Amino acid sequence: MQIMARRMIRVLLVEDEEINRVVARAALKAAMTGDGGDDDDGHVLDEAENGEVAVQRVRAAASAAPYDLILMDRQMPAMDGHEATRRIRAMGVTTPIVAVSSDGLPADVEAFIGAGADDFTSKPLTKEKLGNILSKFRLA
Amino acid sequence: MEYSNLRRQTIFMKKNLFDQGYLDEQFNQLEELQDESSPNFVEEVAALFFKDSSRLLTNIEQAIDKYPQDFYRLDSLMHQLKGSGSSIGALRMKNECSVFKANCNDRNLEGCRRSLQKMKREHATLKQKLESYFQLLRQVGPSEYAVSSRK
Repeated sequence: MQIMARRMIRVLLVEDEEINRVVARAALKAAMTGDGGDDDDGHVLDEAENGEVAVQRVRAAASAAPYDLILMDRQMPAMDGHEATRRIRAMGVTTPIVAVSSDGLPADVEAFIGAGADDFTSKPLTKEKLGNILSKFRLA
Repeated sequence: MEYSNLRRQTIFMKKNLFDQGYLDEQFNQLEELQDESSPNFVEEVAALFFKDSSRLLTNIEQAIDKYPQDFYRLDSLMHQLKGSGSSIGALRMKNECSVFKANCNDRNLEGCRRSLQKMKREHATLKQKLESYFQLLRQVGPSEYAVSSRK
């Protein structure tokens, strides 16, 4: 019997606050695992603490192992989420970028979409929100 | 039985935290993420929150006393605190963050000061209540925590 190998999804989480990274990590694992509690939850998660690091990670990954999904915070030191999104798009990277912000003001959403983000979700990230995102971009 | 009593107390304590508006649904979401591989997840997230929030409150207090006031910086610091509070479901604190940010927007320094004092009180109360809750949960034991968390 042939066993189909499950493709590993590569996710980049761009978030400066540690608490938000800890919660997002656990929520993503739960969203990928579902109710199975399988140890092999099918994803590799990289993290960047600001937009500048995110751009470097995306550039480094682009040829070898591009990301399947980028979760982008807005307010960060060094480089914010809007600018990081613009620069990633300027590199020709088409990876889905989902903006994550606690405000969710229309102007904020518009700015992100204008910069090249594909979608927007509010903080905090939950298993359900991430599940919906993964489904939307056909990653789970 | 002592054990049943402890379980009832944790359920009652948690219900109170929700009924009195200290916590919102996000706290339940965190408990859902707790499992055998991370049995102290919620308490760890809470510890992170209180470490972050204490630092931010100190920074805000220092910034608010500077002259001329930098309302942009105050708003930015409070935005961080709001995000952090949202992660743990700290509803009252989150709401007070919004009040503070509105005062920043209006450049209302006295309003900001009042809001900050209220925020510090809410912070201290939530810390004390959650410490009591986690202490009780530890007495109940890890195997029952998952049951308690679903109530």
